[in-house]
Amino acid sequence: MNQAIFPLAFASDEFRLLTGIVLGFLFGFTLERAGFGNARKLAAQFYLNDMTVFKVMFTAILVAMVGLYGLSALGFVDLSMVWINPTFTWAQVVGGFLLGVGFIMSGLCPGTSVVAMASGRIDGWVTFGGIFAGIGLFTLTVDWVPGLHALYEMGSGEVSVLHEVFGIPALVLALLVLAGALAAFVGAEKVEAFFQQKRPPVELTPSSRPRLKFAMGGALGLSAIVALALSTPRSELPPIQMASMAPLSLAESIIEREPGLLILDLRADQDSEKGIPGAIPAGDEEEVLQALTMAPPRTTIVVYDDTGRVFEAPGTWPRTLEYLALEGGLEGWVSQVLTPLDAAGLPMEQRDTILRQNQISAFFSGAAVNTSSVAAPPPAMQAAGAPKKKKAGGC
Amino acid sequence: MKAKEYWNPYVAGMVLGLVLLAAYLVAGNGLGATALPKRALALATNGIAPDWTAGNAVLGGYVADGANPLRNWLVVEVIGVLLGGFLGALSAGRLARKVEKGPNISVRGRLYFAAGGGVIMGFAAALARGCTSGQALSGGAALSTGSWIFMLMVFAGGYAVAHAVRRQWT
Repeated sequence: MNQAIFPLAFASDEFRLLTGIVLGFLFGFTLERAGFGNARKLAAQFYLNDMTVFKVMFTAILVAMVGLYGLSALGFVDLSMVWINPTFTWAQVVGGFLLGVGFIMSGLCPGTSVVAMASGRIDGWVTFGGIFAGIGLFTLTVDWVPGLHALYEMGSGEVSVLHEVFGIPALVLALLVLAGALAAFVGAEKVEAFFQQKRPPVELTPSSRPRLKFAMGGALGLSAIVALALSTPRSELPPIQMASMAPLSLAESIIEREPGLLILDLRADQDSEKGIPGAIPAGDEEEVLQALTMAPPRTTIVVYDDTGRVFEAPGTWPRTLEYLALEGGLEGWVSQVLTPLDAAGLPMEQRDTILRQNQISAFFSGAAVNTSSVAAPPPAMQAAGAPKKKKAGGC
Repeated sequence: MKAKEYWNPYVAGMVLGLVLLAAYLVAGNGLGATALPKRALALATNGIAPDWTAGNAVLGGYVADGANPLRNWLVVEVIGVLLGGFLGALSAGRLARKVEKGPNISVRGRLYFAAGGGVIMGFAAALARGCTSGQALSGGAALSTGSWIFMLMVFAGGYAVAHAVRRQWT
């Protein structure tokens, strides 16, 4: 389908979860080494004598942003497979402001409170406990307070990215952000130097009582075990929701010899009616799983049966593949692809589409008098004029 | 053991940025912190009141289709943060059971502020669907409009209230 390597596809769910522990570890370690396990240092950002929060945060955003959008422009990243936070403007406005208020009160944000906890800081434990309670408070009040529920859901909830809002290419915006941030860093250094005249820089807190290490180590080992134990899946895996594919799209894909496409014929009785060319017979669960486990990762699997329903794929199917259900099933294929349309009496604009459809129909049903004279219609990406000429020649 | 110096902030930022980029490339999503408490809450309430949990605007999605709410990359990632923070502090000589506070407030006062701030942040993060890690940092890097709005508002909120709570820190 597409050639992008990233984001990675994992054959094993467990392995993917393992990457979470590794990357989380690196995140936590870096935060601590930046000084973010210390509430006094974090709070100082808001008194301007320590701009570390600003410098670290924006440097990180710049590096990740340039990396993500740069690699995407080079074709290494499929952005459509990347989770980008949807926009719920008003919830984010109010929530953001409140988070800032809580932040200066605790001196920690949720992520840094975890780091502070891990460093032994009691204010970190208390903050994290408060966060848990605060989430609980929200889950209760969002049900009872109608205004709150409305605020929570207000807005499109769609993914909106800044470059689309401003109508400029992503990399141009990235460059603007980069330029702005660099200017801001220069300003931040000056602000920090100025305010450090009034308030001294935040001093480090050294380690205390060595025995603490073992207690902390034990507590963390325990939490790791608990995490693993709780991470085991429930016995029934949830079913996989399938999107649908229109029969004509499938027909085009077959003609274009689209790679990474596999068609599965799920009908119990394969002989009652001729199936879609190239489809693999998979009438029972065993045949299906056999075909699916042999498919390379990220293959698109199009399934159909004779009921035409778009159903959910069983949870046992591998989750590394993309599943589509053929709209209308085999019947949809027959009526939309195999059945030619009458172009007579229709406006010119529609004629090309109809001619194209009839080309496809002829190809698949071999309906022309001389099957050998019906050449495969050219892939749709070529000039629209081409099909017209062929039609005149074929008859 | 004498405590080591903190990393240069720009260096730390670069390392953090690479870790964040790695998360996007490897897992297809950024980093976060509030998924663990949210999903742990969902697991707990699902045991007590499954119907309420399933219908809740925040928690319902975590328990749909009989899924285990904790079996999630962002949950496991926070466990990683805990481990990484611990080893970072340990290796830097900064592991200490104490309360970080300014000289002009008592431990009790500081902890009241910490608890209150935490409750407000938990509420805010649930409302905003994320916190500084998941929204500001990760969403910011992805150039999500809402995440940038969130980030600016966090700074606004902090600066707005800083003077009122300065006794905690100075």
